[in-house]
Amino acid sequence: MKLFKIFFILAFILNSFSTSFAEKNDQLTIKISKNLRCVICQGQSIYDSQSEFAVSMKLLIKKKIEQGLSENEIYEFLIDKYGEWIVYDTGFNKNTFILWALPVLLFFLGGAIILKKLVFRKN
Amino acid sequence: MLANHIGHYSLIMGLLTSILIFFLSLKSYKLKIIDKRIFSISFLQLFFVLVSFASLVICFVISDFSNETVFNNSHSNKPILYKISGTWGNHEGSLLLWLLVLVLFLFLFLINSKNELKRYRILTITFQQVIIIGFFLFVLITSNPFNYLFPRPNEGLGLNPILQDPALAIHPPILYVGYVGSSLIFSATLAAVIENYISKDWAKNIKTWILISWIFLTIGIMVGSIWAYYELGWGGFWFWDPVENVSLMPWICLTALLHCVLVLEKRELLKSWTIILSIATFTLSMCGTFLVRSGILNSVHTFANDPSRGLFILCFLFFLITISLIIFFVYNNEKQKNFKKIYFFSKEVSILVNNWFLMYFLSVVFIGTLYPIFLEVLVENKISVGPPFYIKLIVPFLIFFLIFMSIGPNLKWIKETNVKNKIQLIIFFFISLLVSLLIYKNIGETNLINIFLIAASFYLFIVTIRDLFSKESYNFSKKISHFGFSLLILSILLNAILSSEKIINLKVGEKFTFKNEKIFFKSIENNQKENYKSVIGHFTIQDDKNNIFLFKPELRIYDQPLVVTSEADIKTTLLKDKFLVMNAIKGNEYFNVRYQVKPFMIWIWISTLLLAIGGFLSLYKRVHEK
Repeated sequence: MKLFKIFFILAFILNSFSTSFAEKNDQLTIKISKNLRCVICQGQSIYDSQSEFAVSMKLLIKKKIEQGLSENEIYEFLIDKYGEWIVYDTGFNKNTFILWALPVLLFFLGGAIILKKLVFRKN
Repeated sequence: MLANHIGHYSLIMGLLTSILIFFLSLKSYKLKIIDKRIFSISFLQLFFVLVSFASLVICFVISDFSNETVFNNSHSNKPILYKISGTWGNHEGSLLLWLLVLVLFLFLFLINSKNELKRYRILTITFQQVIIIGFFLFVLITSNPFNYLFPRPNEGLGLNPILQDPALAIHPPILYVGYVGSSLIFSATLAAVIENYISKDWAKNIKTWILISWIFLTIGIMVGSIWAYYELGWGGFWFWDPVENVSLMPWICLTALLHCVLVLEKRELLKSWTIILSIATFTLSMCGTFLVRSGILNSVHTFANDPSRGLFILCFLFFLITISLIIFFVYNNEKQKNFKKIYFFSKEVSILVNNWFLMYFLSVVFIGTLYPIFLEVLVENKISVGPPFYIKLIVPFLIFFLIFMSIGPNLKWIKETNVKNKIQLIIFFFISLLVSLLIYKNIGETNLINIFLIAASFYLFIVTIRDLFSKESYNFSKKISHFGFSLLILSILLNAILSSEKIINLKVGEKFTFKNEKIFFKSIENNQKENYKSVIGHFTIQDDKNNIFLFKPELRIYDQPLVVTSEADIKTTLLKDKFLVMNAIKGNEYFNVRYQVKPFMIWIWISTLLLAIGGFLSLYKRVHEK
């Protein structure tokens, strides 16, 4: 029972952190800017960078959200302007399907090898 | 100037001793007697490299700008600590450090392997010496740290200010011990393959070296991460940046090896797999050096872009891989059938499952890091593979990994029969499902996968806590490390879900509220420091219980080279970090202020430390058993 008590207390603590929905637009700006590369910095996202480019980008994203564009529409707009490189989340397309599929294929291949070794031993 | 020459010549002398040891060890191998001179020359080699390294440090300390490396990376009014750490804060110096650690490891192996098989010992020396010669040539030909400048410049160009930090002063040396330690594992493995010595005894011996590498790699990555948290990241601590990935890959591989070698030690199984992992670990360490040094990667770690350096490492890497493959296929004959029984519910199978998942995570990181490079070369299409890719591919598998990790270590070798244990594990599973549902209701987390992830990590957390206090097994080091890992995953997860922040533009005298807290921008203070100008903002944060905290985020304006850095002010408590950072906006009295509340931040570091402490305990036990 002790364990239960601890977890109820923990759950209560977590409760106090809950986010309000009033800042939804801000949250979306943050979410989008985390997924964009700062093209003039080295390996930083728009969100992490404080360069002039990043600052103006953040304003642009905010403006686009206020204009009513959805997350994906904003990405499409930016890809048109700066190229695919700017988005960290590469979509699934003819250039990237190997990227997405290969690790999973390797996983199943590994599983198959392990299974085969174990089963063959038994016979 | 004198130090510069001494350093250069002792480096050349070091290379000569290397070649000498190489031939002596070949001769010893034929005669089957260890030539005693190898020991004294190895000591000499260590001495030369040490002198060379010390001379470079001296060049940095006395700001001898006739040395090109010092000129490029130092400045006379830099604090002394960063003059010293500047020695390895650049390409040439960091390679000299690589070399120093390589030689040091060989020397340690020499004095600690008196009871090993003679020919195995000699061959290990030979292989390690091949690597050392390669790095000597690399340093001397492509990146000599002792290049001479005439006429002597009056002032240096300075060190990148974001590297002027205590954490970053110790990050490279620690990480390098981890990286380079894998070279000895590599050499010893090749030697053992040739001598047909892959056995229980060998596993016992090699585990010491694996542990050393692993501990340092763990701590090295952690220190880098802490640095990124307060200096680079505006609150982030892991960015899936290619250079971070490059240090994570050997770590994953080494972790797999650490577990795999247990099976070898206990049951003499998985021989070939152990060999492959040992070779892969070192290859990945080298690969990391190649990627970072070649300038292919776009990252803060890329000091200089010089294609000849990349090419050299690539050729050397190719050479080492070829040699190890040849040795592996020619000498490794696991033909002799062993008919040991393997049951599905046993520790060895669960370690196999652990390796299977770790290899999957490794392949995700590996492919994610290298794919964009190949794509750009092949179809000239530049894409970014960032955090979303890794999270999407790793998280679903991580859930199962965590569940397996809860169950696996509690199984016995050969065959598990204990029913009570199984029942307990099932009960715990339902408890953690319940907890995650509670969290789900409380914070309104809607992502189904996240809920399962929370459940799985709580499960592992509960089980590892139970194990920590159970008296059934005495393997305390394992318990600590596993508990550390579960705590790590849990705190990263809760931190990611519960963090909140506000970004706002403020000028002096303004205030804003964030949740129940009032943040007030009181004033700014300007100071002139040794090598930078500092602008400190004074903020007060008043929480709902009317406690007032003073925050002083800082802007540093360095003039050699001209860089502005932001120093965040972080107030850490056991439950959460409060993180305030500000930035100047050009031509404006406003400052861009970012305030973040990050729960359980400190537990990420504590748990990583626990992970390393577990490794250290195991190492301690091993050394004392001998």
